[in-house]
Amino acid sequence: MNLILVGISHRTAPVEVRERMNIHESRLPAALADLVARDGVREALILSTCNRVDLAALADEGAEVETGVRRFLADYHHCDLRAYEQYLYWQRGREVVRHLFRVASSLDSMILGEPQILGQFKQAYQTAIEAGALNGALHEISEQALAVGRRVRRETGLGTSAVSVSYAAVELAKKIFGSLQDKTVFILGAGKMSELAARHLISSGASSILVANRTYDRAVELAAAFEGTAVPFEALFDRLGRADIVISSTGSPDFLITRDHAERLLAGRKQRPMFFVDIAVPRDVDPAVNKLDNCFVYDIDDLEQVVAGNRKQREREAAWAEQIVEQEVDRTMRRLAHKELAPTIVALEQRLERIRTAEIERFRGRLGDLSDDQRAAVEALTRGMLNKILHEPITQMKSGTGNPEHGALVQLVRRIFGVNE
Amino acid sequence: MLLWAALGLYGLGVILTFPSVVRRRPALPRSALVALACGLALHGVSLVLAAVRLHHLPVTDVRAAVSFFAFNLTLAFFLVYLRYRITSLGLFMPPFVFLLALIAALHPGSSFHSAGFRGGWLGVHIASMILGYTGFFLTFVAAVMYLIQESALKSKHPDSPRYWLPSLEECDRLYYRSLLFGNLFLAIGLLTGFVWASRTWQGPWEFDPKILATLVTWLIYLTLFSTRVSGSWRGRRSAYGAIFGFAAVMVTFLGMTFLSEQHGFLPKP
Repeated sequence: MNLILVGISHRTAPVEVRERMNIHESRLPAALADLVARDGVREALILSTCNRVDLAALADEGAEVETGVRRFLADYHHCDLRAYEQYLYWQRGREVVRHLFRVASSLDSMILGEPQILGQFKQAYQTAIEAGALNGALHEISEQALAVGRRVRRETGLGTSAVSVSYAAVELAKKIFGSLQDKTVFILGAGKMSELAARHLISSGASSILVANRTYDRAVELAAAFEGTAVPFEALFDRLGRADIVISSTGSPDFLITRDHAERLLAGRKQRPMFFVDIAVPRDVDPAVNKLDNCFVYDIDDLEQVVAGNRKQREREAAWAEQIVEQEVDRTMRRLAHKELAPTIVALEQRLERIRTAEIERFRGRLGDLSDDQRAAVEALTRGMLNKILHEPITQMKSGTGNPEHGALVQLVRRIFGVNE
Repeated sequence: MLLWAALGLYGLGVILTFPSVVRRRPALPRSALVALACGLALHGVSLVLAAVRLHHLPVTDVRAAVSFFAFNLTLAFFLVYLRYRITSLGLFMPPFVFLLALIAALHPGSSFHSAGFRGGWLGVHIASMILGYTGFFLTFVAAVMYLIQESALKSKHPDSPRYWLPSLEECDRLYYRSLLFGNLFLAIGLLTGFVWASRTWQGPWEFDPKILATLVTWLIYLTLFSTRVSGSWRGRRSAYGAIFGFAAVMVTFLGMTFLSEQHGFLPKP
């Protein structure tokens, strides 16, 4: 398998270089067509995002694929590739499979476990198929990479915990309320952060939005943006009890919501739980509110701490994901090798079988009339010899799969047994 | 023999569930569910065979009652798991079922029979009681899960995000529904028990320790139910109540058997 990959990523290159090497989505089909038209290149896949460009190519056995790819890059970007040599990584054979699996699993992402990469990979795969650049082993590898990405997502916690403050708030809300359907969010004090958190909550299903702000006009404006209702600041405590989730970010110098307030709010809503996300500094919600049963208060430091914990958690899960990738690489390599070897093995068997039948035919006269038993014995004897002769070369070919010199070994066996073309 | 086979399968189920709960996978492994389901099936067959042999529901001695309880719990586990997909149930329910089945399998079979024990009222009485206890065990599990999740949220150190535990609201829903179920069947059980006792037993039976303990248990659960409905108790306090209540159930169900004259289902010397 003559497989090669060249890439540049956030690990190896600064953004200016990545920009320079980026291949825009709209130009991908043309680029793929150009690449597969190069000498010996049979299949190609290009993944180009803001954090990475990976280019995989599969070529005919013995073709000088690296030169072809180099020329393609130089032509495409109109540059001397030597200037960028230090930023590029090159991989071959098994390493390519491993790299693609890791990328699709988001193990090589800037933010470990971020979910977008799998979609981007799928897009790259579809584009390559539409451009007619995937039709054999590389197609199978790419498809498998997507499957591995999904498996890692399903079986590990790599992507499950939030690594930004606003997502952490959503995640905590889900731990309290389960589904956010039919939940009411109260935005107390307009601000960038609270807007962002509210947006995430709404996209997770929160249905009704209430907004209060010192300046009423701003509240009306924000309420309109979220299709919610503006509440006059004076009527705050009359309406606050309706909210399941309160995102607070006012400029108030003192606690706006005290323990007494919270107790009254809870009594008014039959002790149904309330979640206060206090992102104001100085804080709006008295931390003593958290001591109340059914009240949960997270301030900005708490949220940051959750995020830090989640990052560590992701790193632990990554180790498990790496194991899955390793397993899948082994499996894929074995399958590819068997597929690749199949024609050779069939050809070998056919060739020897032809010799065997021809020889039996030649000696038929000399053997004379044989009984059924005797004929069966001759068949068994000759077949047995063939199988024993073939056993070792086939085992050798199967065991060496994935090695760089494997192709040469297969060619050699073919030549020795005279099955070349 | 069937019970021992069921016990083995339950044990296998427990062992197979464990790694996925510890690793916090989002679903229980199919192998564990299959093992538990096969255990449940064998257990069911053993109950049916016993019922055919005795001509009534096999609940009239301690061994049989415990076995029936274990069977109900496994059934409840499947119903709740399929309905709510709560993985962490796997941590609580199969081990308890295994323990009960083990008690049932080890306990010497009782030869205790009285004419009265054939009565239909008695079968309904015991079966409803056990269904009620099954509900209360679910309430207990919901309460424990609630408390763990709640303390993780309150501590603000969710270093290990406990996504294997259901959300507080899901715990609360399971809590409320199982509480309702338990109370309903306990009421039926008590009622049928009174009817049967007044017909069969002579002399003052109202002060039988097991009856008194059951009444106390019922009072606890009635309190939990009414405070939950009125909205005056919710969350942590209710959860502690449910744990206390289940301790009372265990005392009533197992402990009182040894103290009570009338409910002493042990072979008499």
